[in-house]
Amino acid sequence: MRKSSALRNKDIRQAEKAVNRRLIKKNLDLYLFLIPGILFIIVFRYMPMYGLTTSFQEYNIFSGILESPWVGFKNFNMLFTSRNFYSVLRNTLFISFGKILFTFPLSIFIAILINEIGRTFLKKTYQTVLYLPHFLSWVIVSGLVTAACSPSTGIINQVIVGLGGQPISFLMDNQWFRTVVIASEAWKEVGYSAIVFIAALTGINPELYEAAKVDGAGKLRQIIHITLPGMLSIILLMFILNLGNVLNANTEEILLMYNPTVYKSGDVLGTFIYRTGVSQMNYSYATAIGLFESLVGLLLVLTGNFTSKRTTGRSIW
Amino acid sequence: MGIKPSSKIKKGKEAILVTAFAYLFITILVLLIIFPLMHVVSKAFSEEWAISSGSVGIFPVGFQFDAMNSIIGSQRFLVAFGNSVLITVLGTICTLVVTAFTAFPLSLRNLPHMKKILLFFVFTMYFSGGIIPTYLLYNAYGILDTRIVLIVPGLINVFHLLIIKNFYEDIPESIIESAKVDGASNLTIFLRFIVPLSKPVYATIVVFTSVMIWNNYFGPMMYVNSPELQTLPLYLRDMISKATDIQAKIAMMQEVSEESITAAAIVAATVPILCVYPFMQRYFVKGMTIGSTKG
Repeated sequence: MRKSSALRNKDIRQAEKAVNRRLIKKNLDLYLFLIPGILFIIVFRYMPMYGLTTSFQEYNIFSGILESPWVGFKNFNMLFTSRNFYSVLRNTLFISFGKILFTFPLSIFIAILINEIGRTFLKKTYQTVLYLPHFLSWVIVSGLVTAACSPSTGIINQVIVGLGGQPISFLMDNQWFRTVVIASEAWKEVGYSAIVFIAALTGINPELYEAAKVDGAGKLRQIIHITLPGMLSIILLMFILNLGNVLNANTEEILLMYNPTVYKSGDVLGTFIYRTGVSQMNYSYATAIGLFESLVGLLLVLTGNFTSKRTTGRSIW
Repeated sequence: MGIKPSSKIKKGKEAILVTAFAYLFITILVLLIIFPLMHVVSKAFSEEWAISSGSVGIFPVGFQFDAMNSIIGSQRFLVAFGNSVLITVLGTICTLVVTAFTAFPLSLRNLPHMKKILLFFVFTMYFSGGIIPTYLLYNAYGILDTRIVLIVPGLINVFHLLIIKNFYEDIPESIIESAKVDGASNLTIFLRFIVPLSKPVYATIVVFTSVMIWNNYFGPMMYVNSPELQTLPLYLRDMISKATDIQAKIAMMQEVSEESITAAAIVAATVPILCVYPFMQRYFVKGMTIGSTKG
């Protein structure tokens, strides 16, 4: 019995293989379509991954990746024993979790509130304004932030002075810099990140609300018992995506806004890599930091995805 | 009997309160977004004395157009602007063509090995070589400080690839099947049937890609050095970090504040986005929705 069923399985597999071969032969042109894309991805995405081997070398510009001497884990030892690294890591996590704790709930909150505003012209206008900052570059936003935070002429300090306070140099102050980073990120992205949640809201069955109304549930209870559960799976999904990005706390933004005075509080992994690698040309060491960043990021996404699949049946791929 | 009406009133009150709060909160938020923009516009057009005395809020005090004039007339600004337009147009067209083509076979899940090939693409979303190896590699390729490096490395964005692939998957299979019965080749099916149906998703990708290229600061900053290859974000960065555009400075009259020049540069770089933004809204909202609801 067993033997015959095994044989049958084998036959099926062989038949499948034959079908596959025919399918491939018949659609060979479709596979040819893929060649430019695959070549591109190899040349511009996978080759840099090969370049990560630099982190186990003492990279020398003249010998290149292929001939630079190997040094094993020297760069990683240096990294994990450097005090600077832990300070940078702390800043990165602080800013990332600040974003997750502040911006993320805020965008969910905005989606719920927008949903409460009737389908009016005003609602459309508001949405247009809320999504706008996402389309301004970080350079522009950093310019706006610099202008608004200027201690002598900025609008924020005008308000502070008007209320009888002392002007604050937000961008030069280690106590304030991270707040400014998180707030500017929120200013730029909070409306735009609400879009997916707003979309999720329109997918909720209106009959649920009707039923709740009949049961005498007020607006707040409807939000807690229908709206939020209806958004739960997309919230979780977005949370996972955010979590995967925990270690790249907006390099571009901070690169544009920081200065040596606030390295202590504002230097993050990305800017640290940039300065070590590009400014100091310490390529191997900078690559080692980058590899650490990439690996942790991948691990976080995989773990998050696994959790999401288990709990909600939804995953990113 | 007495409970029902009272609970009805309570419900109405709560609903009104929630709505009022929603209006209030969103209005404040919208003002918080508009004020910094108005502030920088005011700075660009206010007179020098008003800025230095710190009295420019959200409306211009006095009026001058010299700051804006000196920016628009500056050679460096015009070069950067032209470059940004060029790489945005070229980059967007090339990206769309390559991505639209590549996504088609990937959307046909019943073809053998497609899932594995898709994974090969998707993996690069979550793991990358990082900035230093990429930089060293482009150096080895010899494309640093050329226009190529501003256009080619962005050609396929896997997130956009997935959006298009998801869109293709939703096209009814009967269309493809009937075309096949008529003896159409895969290429014909793609060009004749798939492409015309996919215009909306292409529009979305055009919006995403063009904004991304237009706004990109980090790439050009890393890979490009020559003055004739400067892009708008690079120019703007120079202006903001006070390594001011000397030409603009010479052109400006004595009575224009340096802050006005910077503000004028910011405004000049923002206006093009504001001009196309209203036309984009429909498409990016759609794209975000497709992109997030299906993996």
